[in-house]
Amino acid sequence: MRAYQDMVFSTAFRLAGSDAQAEDIAQEVFIRAYEHFADLRTSPTAGGWLKTVATNLSLNYLNRDRKRWRLFSEMRSTADDGEESPEIEWEVPDTMLEDLGAEQRRQMVDSVLHRLPDHQRIPLVLYHFEELSYQEIAAKLQVSLTKVKTDIFRGRAALLPLLQAGVDARDAMDA
Amino acid sequence: MNQRNDEKLEQVMTAALRDMPPRRAPRALESRVFAELQRRSALVWWRRSFTHWPSTARAAFVLLNVALVAVTFIGGVSNVVGGRSFADFSGIVLEWMRPFVAVLSTVGGLTPVLLRAIPSGWLYVGVAVSVALYMVLFGLGAAAYRTLYVEPSLAGGRS
Repeated sequence: MRAYQDMVFSTAFRLAGSDAQAEDIAQEVFIRAYEHFADLRTSPTAGGWLKTVATNLSLNYLNRDRKRWRLFSEMRSTADDGEESPEIEWEVPDTMLEDLGAEQRRQMVDSVLHRLPDHQRIPLVLYHFEELSYQEIAAKLQVSLTKVKTDIFRGRAALLPLLQAGVDARDAMDA
Repeated sequence: MNQRNDEKLEQVMTAALRDMPPRRAPRALESRVFAELQRRSALVWWRRSFTHWPSTARAAFVLLNVALVAVTFIGGVSNVVGGRSFADFSGIVLEWMRPFVAVLSTVGGLTPVLLRAIPSGWLYVGVAVSVALYMVLFGLGAAAYRTLYVEPSLAGGRS
């Protein structure tokens, strides 16, 4: 469990967007792993199994939450569901967080990731962290391929200024 | 869409998010998992989820339920139908429905009387008030959703 708990917790945290939910999900993942302990004990793919279960449980958790609020969650602006990606009106920098170490980058990203709305954060995490393809994400989330691409694009576009602000704040503190 | 800007954004973000170390799990996670496992294993078998019941108990439970449903259904039907003909059976059903039909016909008869008695202005005001109350309730629900659910989620405070 110790070998995988950080990986499972990270997956749940990035998808669910909060420590408390991630802890609940991670607990459930390891209870399921215990139930399949005989199979997983010697399996070389135990890590992959845990990651998949963590991803699926996180999505189930979020889906349950969304269904509870379905009436109102579907009232959100239809502009959010547009098929076309918006223009980026600012200059995309050549690099981002390049001068930070891996752990510092991790802290910076984790501190802003949860500020993205679920429908942008989830596909973005599945693409960049879980390394799923657009098609796999569309199948997992049961949405169109176009929507996945648009949401990931918008998620990146929303994340970039948040990261930039984090970098600026850090530079200001260092100065 | 500006294709070049889009590709550049993807490259920059991919580089920024690559090879990131995992977030450290809380120290309490391990003890929490073991405590939950202990709690679950301490439960008597019939208080665990159905999938964890012994297979004989599961089979017996399913058979018992099927038997109960069958007895209830067959018993109910034979009690009502018995040795009666179809016409008798239809008569019994109609007899059961008689009070409902009476209520419906009373309401049906009363409606035009009320509509004639109440001034039409009042009716319009009543309808307008109902619609307004419905909209207010819906608006309050939407505001509560945005305040309590969406905004805390954006601020990372949802738990």
